[in-house]
Amino acid sequence: MKFNTKLVLGIESTAHTWSVGIMDFNGKVMSVVNDTFIPDKGGLHPYLVKEQHLNNFKRVIRQALRDANCKMCDIDLIAFSKSPGLGPILKIGAQVARMLGQLLNIPIIGVNHCIAHIEIGRLMCNIEDPLTLYVSGGNTIVSAYESNKYQIFGETLDISIGNMIDMFARDIGLSHPGGPKIEKLAHQSKRYVQLPYVVKGMDLSFSGLYTAAKKLIDSKTYEISDVAYSLQETAFAMLTEVTERALAHTEKDEVLLTGGVAANKRLQEMIAYISKEHNAKFEVVPLKYAGDNGIMIAWTGILRYISEGRPNLLNTMIDPKERMDTLTIPWRK
Amino acid sequence: MSASNSIVWEKILRKGAEANLYEGYWFGKKVIFKHRIKKDYRENILDSIIRAKRTINEGRALIKVKEEGINVPQVYELDTENALIIMKYIEGQKLKDLMPKLANSEKIPLFYNVGKQIATLHINGHIHGDITTSNIIITEEKQVFLIDFGLHEYSDSIEDKSVDLHLFKRVLISTHGKDFKPCFNAFLEGYQSEYKLLENDDSKLIIKNISAIERRGRYVKRDEKEFG
Repeated sequence: MKFNTKLVLGIESTAHTWSVGIMDFNGKVMSVVNDTFIPDKGGLHPYLVKEQHLNNFKRVIRQALRDANCKMCDIDLIAFSKSPGLGPILKIGAQVARMLGQLLNIPIIGVNHCIAHIEIGRLMCNIEDPLTLYVSGGNTIVSAYESNKYQIFGETLDISIGNMIDMFARDIGLSHPGGPKIEKLAHQSKRYVQLPYVVKGMDLSFSGLYTAAKKLIDSKTYEISDVAYSLQETAFAMLTEVTERALAHTEKDEVLLTGGVAANKRLQEMIAYISKEHNAKFEVVPLKYAGDNGIMIAWTGILRYISEGRPNLLNTMIDPKERMDTLTIPWRK
Repeated sequence: MSASNSIVWEKILRKGAEANLYEGYWFGKKVIFKHRIKKDYRENILDSIIRAKRTINEGRALIKVKEEGINVPQVYELDTENALIIMKYIEGQKLKDLMPKLANSEKIPLFYNVGKQIATLHINGHIHGDITTSNIIITEEKQVFLIDFGLHEYSDSIEDKSVDLHLFKRVLISTHGKDFKPCFNAFLEGYQSEYKLLENDDSKLIIKNISAIERRGRYVKRDEKEFG
């Protein structure tokens, strides 16, 4: 055998990113290659995303193997994102995983995308038992490990924070991805305009905030940068408040920030502030592993494979609406 | 220490998401100082709006709710300028901290009583807004006290009451998973027992609506949506 430890190939395919990561069983990253769908206009049309992934999956897998300096036959396990996400897109990941599993006669394992975000954060940031704020285009979740599960303490009641920012960005004519552009725009203003601030216990709602911001833009009485600033300040203050509330309630001493929106410096600053207030260690997952990537799937696949063994092929069905708090986490005791 | 003509801040008890709690004395009485300190992470205007609004909101709610016979701390002083509430110190323990120390047989009557208190709150048109086991204090005599009314709202709608119960249900599942079923059932029984005394018993509708809220949530499967 060319490699001392077993190798896993992880496939991320829940939304706009098709990503393949190769990792050894000790958690060493060997390669990761992404292909991301960028819409010309509008949001993610599942059909168009699916087409792009179908056209690119082979190239990405080949590139990942080349970067890792290994061959397909060196791989010992295939992990793929089986939930949650857009059905047609999850399907491609599952089909490619099953095909490779059959061809190479190796086990394949399905992984929950949200749990993968937390697990790769724990590995990369070297922390043990964090309260996690996971913010992305698809999810807004405050989670911590309790009673053998990743419990959801707070979440959005309607749209996700990333989705809200992207929609707002589109309305003011900014192309995808909107997050970094809104962050830049917000920097140009210091004028706060009051917007709806909706927190229910540890849950949040962003749809009213979005509508109000859109109305401000349509009214043409404020600078676009003022609205962007106020939108960001309001939304992030809400996120920070519920994170702090969950932190006070769970009494965890580590805080992890992950997901695509974790790249926002202002949000990092705010979460860092409350972590310090509660004497908790604060870590942001490095951007490469905070957004959707194949490595997080690979690593979570390893964890589940080691504790549960080879799954039945029937257990590799996709589940577009699986909640992370329904799954037990046997590798954490 | 507790001179009868002075106000003494003794020590910090807890840093919450909204406020810092200090223990001390107010003209000889043992009190809690709930200070909504400025949160430097927040935009200045937004910060002052939130702090002022919630201080007034909580102060008013505590006074109103107390009049209706619900166990909450007595408000001694409401200082909106400094976002400060001075209230009676309730001797007891947070339900969250008490849970591991209780036998199962002790938990059931306790949750039944919590249910009764929340029902009285709802019947009188109050929504707590943040019912968690951290916001319930149990005294030595096993009396139930509700605290933290910063997110309080006035409402008579079934939806708002269901949301209140839904939040509590979620906290029980995530924090006290093993005790969830018997405790939540006892809670609902206590809740319904108060409503049964009324002519219009809305409790069935309110409880039924919890599952409607759950089905509206994220990542709920279609078959559960249709047949719930």
